[in-house]
Amino acid sequence: MRVIRACREIGIRAVAVFSDADRDALHVRLADEAYPIGPAAPRESYLAIGKLVDIARRAKCDAVHPGYGFLSENADFADAVRDAGLVFVGPSGDVQRRLGDKTQARRLAHDAGVPVAEGTLAPLRDLDEARREAKRIGYPVMLKAAAGGGGKGMREVASAAELDAAWRLSSGEAAGAFGSAALFVEKLIENARHVEMQILADAQGGIVWLGERDCSIQRRHQKLIEESPGPSVDDALRERLGDAALRIARAAGYVNAGTVEFLVDGQGAFSFLEVNTRLQVEHPVTELVTGVDLVALQLGIAAGEPLPFAQSDVRRRGAAIELRVTAEDSLRGFVPATGRIALLREPAGPGVRVDSALFEGLTVTSDYDPLLMKVIAHGADRTEALARARRAVRETIVAGLPTSLAFHASVLDEPDFIAGGYDTSYVATHWPRRVAVQLDDSAVTAAALVAVLAARGRVARRPVASPDGAWSRAGREEALR
Amino acid sequence: MIYEVSVGERRLRVDIAADGRFLVDDAVVAAEATEIARGRQWSVRLGHRSHEVTVLTHDPLRLLVDGTEVEASALDERAAAAARGASTKRGGRHELRAPMPGLLKTVHVAEGDVVERDAPIMTLEAMKMENELLAPARSRVVRLVVGAGTKVEGGAMLAVLEESE
Repeated sequence: MRVIRACREIGIRAVAVFSDADRDALHVRLADEAYPIGPAAPRESYLAIGKLVDIARRAKCDAVHPGYGFLSENADFADAVRDAGLVFVGPSGDVQRRLGDKTQARRLAHDAGVPVAEGTLAPLRDLDEARREAKRIGYPVMLKAAAGGGGKGMREVASAAELDAAWRLSSGEAAGAFGSAALFVEKLIENARHVEMQILADAQGGIVWLGERDCSIQRRHQKLIEESPGPSVDDALRERLGDAALRIARAAGYVNAGTVEFLVDGQGAFSFLEVNTRLQVEHPVTELVTGVDLVALQLGIAAGEPLPFAQSDVRRRGAAIELRVTAEDSLRGFVPATGRIALLREPAGPGVRVDSALFEGLTVTSDYDPLLMKVIAHGADRTEALARARRAVRETIVAGLPTSLAFHASVLDEPDFIAGGYDTSYVATHWPRRVAVQLDDSAVTAAALVAVLAARGRVARRPVASPDGAWSRAGREEALR
Repeated sequence: MIYEVSVGERRLRVDIAADGRFLVDDAVVAAEATEIARGRQWSVRLGHRSHEVTVLTHDPLRLLVDGTEVEASALDERAAAAARGASTKRGGRHELRAPMPGLLKTVHVAEGDVVERDAPIMTLEAMKMENELLAPARSRVVRLVVGAGTKVEGGAMLAVLEESE
């Protein structure tokens, strides 16, 4: 959807692919051409490199944009696209390989003079080596998939007793998700903030950083809220992070949009985490603050154009915050939810952007990622951005299945979040919220009336439950009164 | 019909009289409710206060009241009495259910096995994570309801265990 929008504005025809599960999806309807790619299972559709390249050829595409899921960080896909004589919108397979293997990326950052967390610079051979290395650097440690990304195969290990189980689960997840069970360990930096730097590099050597996003509001390494500027990042730290990101990108020969992720501790010391060699889900935060269209620039860079601006031209205005609304029940420990969108109202108004592919009648399944909609608010400063985000959430309705919206509404009102001094432990320490839901008497009364009307309405719609037809009809009429 | 209603922590008695008037805790309330979306959303005016109430989910009942999400229930008096009498506890017997929808990746035990407390029984892959479902106590595997490779719904029964000495 995001890519189709950019294409349409530039005047490029957009070709979409869809699995059997996505026939009705919005991206199919908005694209100029749409091709079926196979069954719902990603392996047979969205992850099927051969099929994708065939369709791109058949549709006479010039370029392939990988989006930000599935194959967006797959070097083999980038190679296959290039080998088919098409342009891949993103860094080359070689660059992706250099950065996609996390241990190799750590070495590269280290050699470029960027601090990395203490740990192994090569994949672990076996559990014994993991035990030795973890003991050497000292618990707690993070066990991570060398080929990883997006939180998969990643586990916090507090003590030696937990290592065996963590090894088993993480290597299993890593093998399933990335086709490689290789793991490495690094020292866990406690009370760290997750701060990432957006970069853009063209093929002529032009390279800029656009500013940071604080993505510390995460649950099990899945981001829920991102904002820029980072509430804990001052101008000096921003410059240092930008400089470090550019050093890594230059060392890797990076071309196109990318994100360099860092952990920042309470004292403002940072260490390199990883590079995401693609557009990020949270890119709108940077777009609102800098006023650039990252996808349009990606397409320009892929077409061989130089960046239209230099570092000194980059201006950041105000603050922006993104809420990732997911199909997860935040009131029940974020268990995945499925269901049909029965009613939808997306927020709008000043300073509010919505990136969503929802529509009423859409059935949300557990086939793909739980992300439903992104609500992004922009203001002259953080206070205004938060006020707009709060107002936008209040307007938003996604009925038919449980979502994460209650979490977002609650966090936006929570004093520690408003103060900005949070870190990656925030969700674990602040959720579920112990403060009861605050509704005044009038709102409670209104809710109680609707609870009864809805209960009666449901009886009336199921005549089997009540054999007395006359009674059902009366119930229905009363409910409609 | 009188309903016992809960809204968050609050308990109320709501009666919709035959003439359509609302009574809350036996007092008549000046309310005007318009159904905006069939069975889903109502605009409610109480005096001059305006509220928008949306049914987010039916089971369990979750309402969005002016942007605030709240759990609620409405039982007519007979159903409320019946619910209070019901009991689902069965000593010694554990039903292992899927905590979320997902793909049952591995079954670690066979029927008849005796497993220790916290032994992995099954691995459920859901939303990018592998979740090991552990034995709640030292127990014998009485029945395996589904096999590896099965897609299961949230709440689906997966296995029956019986506590063993």
